[in-house]
This record gives sequence, structure tokens and C-alpha cells, in this order.
Amino acid sequence: MKKLLSLFLAALLVLGLAPLSLAEEPIEISLYYSDNATLPFRQDWPVIQTLEKQYNVKLNFEPIPMGDYSTKAGLTLSTGENTPDVMLYLSTGGAYASYALNGAIVPISDYAEWTPHFNARVEEMGLQQDVDLNRLGDGKLYFLPSLFDLPFYDGGLILREDYLVKKGFEAPKTFDDLYNIMKAYKEDYPDSYPLTSIVALRVVQRMTMPSFGVSVGRNTGTGTGTLSWDYEKKEYFAGAISQQYKDYITFMAKLHAEGLLDPELEQDNASTAKKLATGAAMAVYGYYDQIGGWEQASEIEGFKLNMYPPLEGPGGAHHQPKSKTGSGLLFPIGVSKRPDFEQVVRKLDEVFYSEEATKLWCFGPEGDSYTMDGDKVVYNDAILSSADGIYKYMQNAYGTGCAGLQNVWYLERELTKYDDNYARINAEVAAMDNAIQYTVPVPSFDDVTAEDASLLQTTLLDAFNVWDDEFRTGKKSIENDWDAYVQDMKDKGIEQFLKLYNDNKKL
Amino acid sequence: MIHKHRIKDKSPALDALIWFVMIFVLLACVLPFLYIIAMSFSSSRAILNNRVSLWPVEFNVEAYRQVFAYPNFFKAYGNTLIYTFFGTLISLCMMVLFAYPLSKNRLKGQSLVMKLVVFSMFFGGGLVPNYLLISSLKLTGTVFAIILPFAINQFNLIILINFIRSLPEELEEAARIDGLNYFGILIRIILPLLTAALATVGLYTAVFFWNDWFYALIYLKSYQYPVMLLLRNIVNGTTMVGEAGGVGEKAFVAIAIKSAVIITSTLPIILLYPFLQKYFVKGMLVGAIKG
Repeated sequence: MKKLLSLFLAALLVLGLAPLSLAEEPIEISLYYSDNATLPFRQDWPVIQTLEKQYNVKLNFEPIPMGDYSTKAGLTLSTGENTPDVMLYLSTGGAYASYALNGAIVPISDYAEWTPHFNARVEEMGLQQDVDLNRLGDGKLYFLPSLFDLPFYDGGLILREDYLVKKGFEAPKTFDDLYNIMKAYKEDYPDSYPLTSIVALRVVQRMTMPSFGVSVGRNTGTGTGTLSWDYEKKEYFAGAISQQYKDYITFMAKLHAEGLLDPELEQDNASTAKKLATGAAMAVYGYYDQIGGWEQASEIEGFKLNMYPPLEGPGGAHHQPKSKTGSGLLFPIGVSKRPDFEQVVRKLDEVFYSEEATKLWCFGPEGDSYTMDGDKVVYNDAILSSADGIYKYMQNAYGTGCAGLQNVWYLERELTKYDDNYARINAEVAAMDNAIQYTVPVPSFDDVTAEDASLLQTTLLDAFNVWDDEFRTGKKSIENDWDAYVQDMKDKGIEQFLKLYNDNKKL
Repeated sequence: MIHKHRIKDKSPALDALIWFVMIFVLLACVLPFLYIIAMSFSSSRAILNNRVSLWPVEFNVEAYRQVFAYPNFFKAYGNTLIYTFFGTLISLCMMVLFAYPLSKNRLKGQSLVMKLVVFSMFFGGGLVPNYLLISSLKLTGTVFAIILPFAINQFNLIILINFIRSLPEELEEAARIDGLNYFGILIRIILPLLTAALATVGLYTAVFFWNDWFYALIYLKSYQYPVMLLLRNIVNGTTMVGEAGGVGEKAFVAIAIKSAVIITSTLPIILLYPFLQKYFVKGMLVGAIKG
């Protein structure tokens, strides 16, 4: 009897344990994440918790401060020591191309059959050509980029709408309109400098130059500093010494001379906010998200800001160029040594690019952050009534919409998180003639050419920055010193630099 | 007579000048600190409208609440305290053990070791070789990665060596006659006389470990990060910019939070100074002059 009982108990034990041993253990994946101080990472964000449960995966995030992300990622890649399974929010631009070509990064395009969800999103969004532009000189793709169906107009000219209404101005359409508005403001408030910027002059430059048919400076659309892209001829031209740039700098010098342009543009956001809130400035090149904070900070009665579509200049009405692909998932070579490498790649593909996951990254868990009313997304009351706005609140509370985590972006879905005004502005910009042009892919340089190009780029950009500053502030005359400037740039090799880029261009 | 002469020499104008300079220096040090404290307790609206000077306007502790609410803030603070305490302790132990023999000129090879110490003050291995070394020693991801490589600081070591050299040799001779061995002499005779120097070097070392963020960044995991790295990330919130611009430039950390961060991170170490000041000055002087 005793024997029978023990046999019975043993059988029960085996049967009871059987389901446990059959249950698949969650696969553990380590990830580097670029942590933004304004949106500190939380492992307990509902989006991450849901993903882990839904896809039976354990995501071990390593949040690294955004400002130091590149240092840490670069160091581990270059030494090959202590690398995680995947690094988020990276691409193969700059030094990373060298790491890739030297074998530190997995050529993920060799494993295309393991990334069916990524492939499906690329096809569905029609981005194959955009993705291919990220291939390096050996024809391989070394990271899975983030994907955008349409470029967002999330920042641009922001103006005091209350002033326009008060003075009876129409919304500006051209740079001449903007000039007239600022001139009037200066007359009303002689101590003011009407136009300011967030961070630095380069923000104004990158957002306004395309309307003059050129894009040069530190944030140039080509990443070269002194070259621009001719969208008709599909080739580079020496933007820094072009007539287009001459027109642009003449306009900026005029603003400066007449006290319409803030002379202190190198500033943190608190300074920008101060200038706007106190009326020391009335126009700024910044981002839509920032408007709320600036309005709240001001004690001026009726103070109201609004964002406007790109203004028209001699080169049309364009905003800074944007790419439909961005930084994404980069696999250090160490992960390929894992026996379950294929499962890791497949799981990450599912977590970041599957249709269900992309919805989760954008809207949060259904039934928690939102419900569906037919085709319409309805966010919960806490989200809708938040003082921070839907987007910011959802980021903090759910972990949605975080650059670096969300890798698939549909404009229509994103607009559900903004007010109608933002949707209206974006619709207006989308209806304009190619207002946001594409960014030019980095040429396929070999190591030696890349070194030559890099040396020339630094020399030319340094010289350009000095001349640009002197032209704008009137220390040098555009009329009298232009030829000397052009000659200086030629002496420093701008033509040779141009040839290097045109000889190796991808388009 | 001499005393009288000195009093006669005292000029009221000179006194006034000294007072003026001292008050100016005091204000130059204190005012920015008071301003930051005032901002950390003021509302963002008051700060942005230039209404804050040396006293909080629309007093609130929202900035501190937000800083303390950062994930892992207290864990990071705890990490910093541990790194600073044990880092300083280990560092002092190792430096004393190293400085004592190096203070003896008669020791064979002393000169060569001293040259190697000085050489390493000016020439380092560089970031990548150091990283590979620490990694091959399996120290990455452990607290030792940020403590052991910095346990001996050459500058502090030289201060200690000079201090020990300034002590009368007769003390050690007497101890030897009384039967003490070298370790006994170090522990019972030298160490008690080293208090001022140890306080000075200890403070330097504690400040180093308190402020260090870079080595923690590259060698440690995020849950091991010290508070300085966390706070640095908060303060840099507005200045992180990618070349193409975008997300980083949209990031906006309120100036009140930045002020709260500055106070939170500097106050503890500033509070240490008054307690160590008398040793600090003495240690600096003795370390600098060979007796």
C-alpha cells in the first residue's frame, strides 16, 4: 500500500512538473538604450511590461545617458568587450561605419529572412529605396533603421500670434512678411531683438536655408558643412560659395544690422524661454512641443504663440530636409556567438517591428491607455485631462513615443496625440510642394577617402563658420569681401571636397 | 617695543583695503551659491520673468521633488556614498603603504620606482588600453573597476612622501631600539603623526570619488551608477544635441531643477570642508615644504 501510494505521488509529481518543463523560458536580451533626462527610462513602463509578457522575452535594458551614449557604445564596439546583444538608437554614420567594416557589427542584411516584420513594414511603407541608402560600401546593411511613413513637421517658425492679431498682420508666407512683422515689433519695442532661436544659430540656419536653395553650416542637410544638394540635378554643389548662400547671408546680415536678430543665439532653453516670456523676442525657430512651456512662463496678458509652415524664399518654401529612415537597432558582433542568435534577432524583430508591437509603442496597451471607438483611438481620461498634453503624459506614464524605443512611426497615428492645431499645420505642410525634402545619403567612401574628406570638411567648416559670423555681424562686407571669401574657400579645397562627394555619391 | 612698532605701522587705509578685498572675495563665492539656492526654491515662471534674485519667489520644493523622483536617485546617492567611503579608505591604505617605503632614500630601487611614479603622472595608457585592461581583469561591472585603478594618485602620494620625510628620523630609530618592526613603526609612530596629511589627501581623494562620473559610465552597469552621472544627465538635458538636431534639442529641463541638482550634488561635499579645514591647511603646508 505504501509502495503504491509513493508510486502514485511520484506520478503526480512528474505529471505536475511536466507542463512547467514544457513551458518555454523567456529569452533574455540585453539592450543599450540612449536615456533622455527629460524622459528617464523606467523598466516598469506598461509598454515594456506588456511586450515582455506578450512575446515571452526578458528585455534587460541598460539606460545610458544620452550625452554619453556614443562614448560608451563606441568604446565597447571598438574593444569588442562587454557589448550588449543590441544597441538601440544607433546607425552606421561616422565612426560606426568603420566599426561595421572592421567586423565589429553584424551585417544584419545577411539575415533578412530572420526579420520578416521589418521587411513587411518596409514594403508596406514603400521605403525599400530609403533603407537601401543606409547600406555601406560593401553593399550590406548593418543596422535595422527606424521607419517613418511621412516626415513630421514638428518644429519651425514660432511667432507671437497675439501680436499678429493685435497689429492686423496676416500669417507670414514669405521671409519678407516675417521681416515686416519683426520690423513693426522692433518699432513698438525698441529694446527687443524680435527673432531668437533655441540652442544656437545653427537651428535657424538648418530650418531656413532650404528656402534659399542651400543648406550649409553645422547642421547642413548633406552632413558636409559646406556642400549642398541640387535636388533637380541630383548632385552636390559648393553651397558655401554659391549665389544662394550669398542671398541668404545678405538677408541675415540685414536682420542683424537692423537689430531684428538676437545677437546672443548660443543659449540654453531657459534663456530662450526668458526672452519669449518677457517679450524681449517675438519669433523663434523651435519645436511645437515647447510652445506650451513658453506660454505658461509668460506673464504678458493674452500671450499666445503658434507655429507656421515654412516661409517662401528665393528657393521655394522648404523646411530642413528629413529622412524616412533613422537610427535603429545595431547588433554588436558578440551577439552572433550566442547559440540562440537566430531567436534573438527574430524576437527583436517581433518586439520592435511587428504590427501589434508598433501599435503598442505608439498607443500603449489597448484597454489601458486607450480604447477603440470604431476606427478612432480614444485615450483614457487621465491622459486627455493631463496638463502636460497627451504626448508628454503618455511618454512618461506608459513609455510610448520614445525615440530609440519606438522604431515605426506613422504620422496619422502620432497626430492622435496632438491637438487639432498641430494636425492642421502638418496637413498644410504636407499639401505644400515638397516642403520637407529628403536628406542625402552619406557617400560610400573607402577608409582613405573618408579620411581625406573628413580633413577637408573640418578645415572648410571652420573657415566657413568664421566668415559666416563676420558677414552676418557686419565685421566683413558681403559686397567687398565676397571674392576674398570665395578664394579662401577654394584655397582650402572646397572644389576638391566637392569632387570627392560627387565621385562617390549614392543617388 | 617691536609690538608697539607693529601697531604704529598699521594703516587704516590698508585695513580697509584688506576688508574690501576679503568681502569682495566672500561675496563672489557666496552670492552665486545663494542665487542658485533661491532659484531651486522658486517657481519656473518667476525665474523666467527675471523676478528671482537672492530670495526665493513663489516658494516651492517642486524642483527637489522632481529630482528626488528620478528613477534610482536614492540608489545612485547610496552608490556614491559607498564608492566615496571605500574608495577613499582603500586609497589611503594603499598610498600610506606605498609612501612609507618610498620616503626612505636608502631603500634599494627607491629612485627607480619614484621615477616610474612620476613617469605615470605624465603618460597614461589611453582610454582603450585601460578599458581592455580592466575588462581582462574581469573588473567591469564591479565596484573595483572605479576604485582600484585610482587607489594611488601620484600627486597625493608625493604629498605623503614629503610629509613622512619631514618627520624626525630619530623617532623611528628610537622605535627600532625599542623593538618595533617596520610595520609597527608605520602603524604606531608614523600614522598618528600623519593625521594632517591624511586629512588633506583624504579630502582630495573623497572629492575625486564624489565627482567621478566618467569611469562609472564606462565600467559600470546603469544600476551601479553614482549620483553624479545621473545629475549630469539631468543638467545636460537641454544641451544634448545631435548633429542633425531634433530630439535632444526639444529636451527641456527647467532651470529650477538644474539649480536643485547643483545644490543636491555639491552640498554634502561642501559641508565636509569646515570640519577638515584646519588639517587641510596644515597638510598642504607641510606637504609642500620638506622639513
